Amino acid sequence: MATRHITKAPRMGTKALYLPNFRIVLLNDPKLSPHFASFLVPLNLNKLDLRDYLYNCYGIPVRSVRSYIQMQKVQQDKNNAKRVSPRRWHRPRSIKKMMVEMDDPFVWPKTPEDFSQWDKDFVEKREKANKKARDAQGPGGASKPPAERKSIAEQAKELLEGKKEWRRDDNEYEDEIVEEDADGEWEEVEQNVKI
Amino acid sequence: MATSTSIRPVARRLLKANIAQNAPPTFLLPSLLAPVQQSSPFSSTSTSLYPRDMNRQRGVSTRRRTGLRQPLSVSKTPLPKPVLDPAKRPEVDVDVHHGLWDFFYNKKKPFATPLELTQHGRGWTVEELRHKSFEDLHALWWVCCKERNRIATDKYERNRVKAGSGDLESGARDFNVRRTMRGIKHTLTERYYAYREADVLMYEDEEIDVTGQGPPYIPKEAVLEDEVPEEVEAAPAAESADKTDIPPPAATEKGSVVEKPL
Repeated sequence: MATRHITKAPRMGTKALYLPNFRIVLLNDPKLSPHFASFLVPLNLNKLDLRDYLYNCYGIPVRSVRSYIQMQKVQQDKNNAKRVSPRRWHRPRSIKKMMVEMDDPFVWPKTPEDFSQWDKDFVEKREKANKKARDAQGPGGASKPPAERKSIAEQAKELLEGKKEWRRDDNEYEDEIVEEDADGEWEEVEQNVKI
Repeated sequence: MATSTSIRPVARRLLKANIAQNAPPTFLLPSLLAPVQQSSPFSSTSTSLYPRDMNRQRGVSTRRRTGLRQPLSVSKTPLPKPVLDPAKRPEVDVDVHHGLWDFFYNKKKPFATPLELTQHGRGWTVEELRHKSFEDLHALWWVCCKERNRIATDKYERNRVKAGSGDLESGARDFNVRRTMRGIKHTLTERYYAYREADVLMYEDEEIDVTGQGPPYIPKEAVLEDEVPEEVEAAPAAESADKTDIPPPAATEKGSVVEKPL
């Protein structure tokens, strides 16, 4: 009588790794099924390594692993170049992603809608201003017309068409301090100012 | 068998003709059954007949999604339709103790706020780590590994949704973790060199038995401070008396001048 062959459970690695020095990043992919999780991993990590790592370090039994290496686009100069030199072609290092199938489902927490705690508005404004300054410094930046030119042109057109009258405000600041009374006498407005 | 197969198409042709009411006269029946000898078709396959063969599955294709020719028992049951909108799907009950939670600081937020990220202490110093056993250091290393994974995930997700600031804070956090890891390696390297040096000293020391037979450490007769004999104590005093004869250096000469009574 032939004994039924029992399929062996996947064996874990036996080689002990004492001081590993790499990081993996859990990726948020909303289209992914809850039973799957994808990771950014270093290029030298293989499927068996990730399975053992997740089981021993995080206690996640993994059913299967799929791996994918994504080549990066060619770009001019390296990412950390202070000044991009043209035609110095560089291809950034490829990215390796792995998708694991788990027994238990996992869903990411919901992304908050209000980013005020992260100063999103301020950061966006800063980025915008930085980009503007960078573009002005970059090639062809000096020849570009400044943003004020449009406004100046509009004002000049209004003056030429007679819609506005030219007025030179020499006493601009005096007007704020001194006002003419109904009696026609000058009166000091800021009475309580201590100098 | 052979005759039946040869007759079958002819019979079918007759049946078809009857349906179409173009039936040939009955007296022509023998001529139809007679083997055709005069004709010489270009191809052996008869084109006028359909289906060409007796294949029951002809025309059934999974690729063209034709479906089966006959209904099955499950045909009346409607197929479930996939819910394409993720918002309409039922919420997944995630285990509180799922291992992937270790990639997060908070179970309610995908990434921490900058204020939360700043709430951390300093890394371990080498001096503190020197007192720890290898098991402790090893455990701390893995804690650091998981913390770095957490920081990287936090940062990646924050930049993916363009939430705003936080890179500086997570960088400072990562710096402290890496400093701790550096300290662990430093401590272990120190221990390794200490071990190597001790291995050399072992052979020079007479109190240590290298042969491996008997006790490894045999201390010689130690002299404790309480049991110091008087003769030994007297010796340093005699030495100091001898030293007085030696002319003192220049610096002490100057001092002696000051000490002179006026």
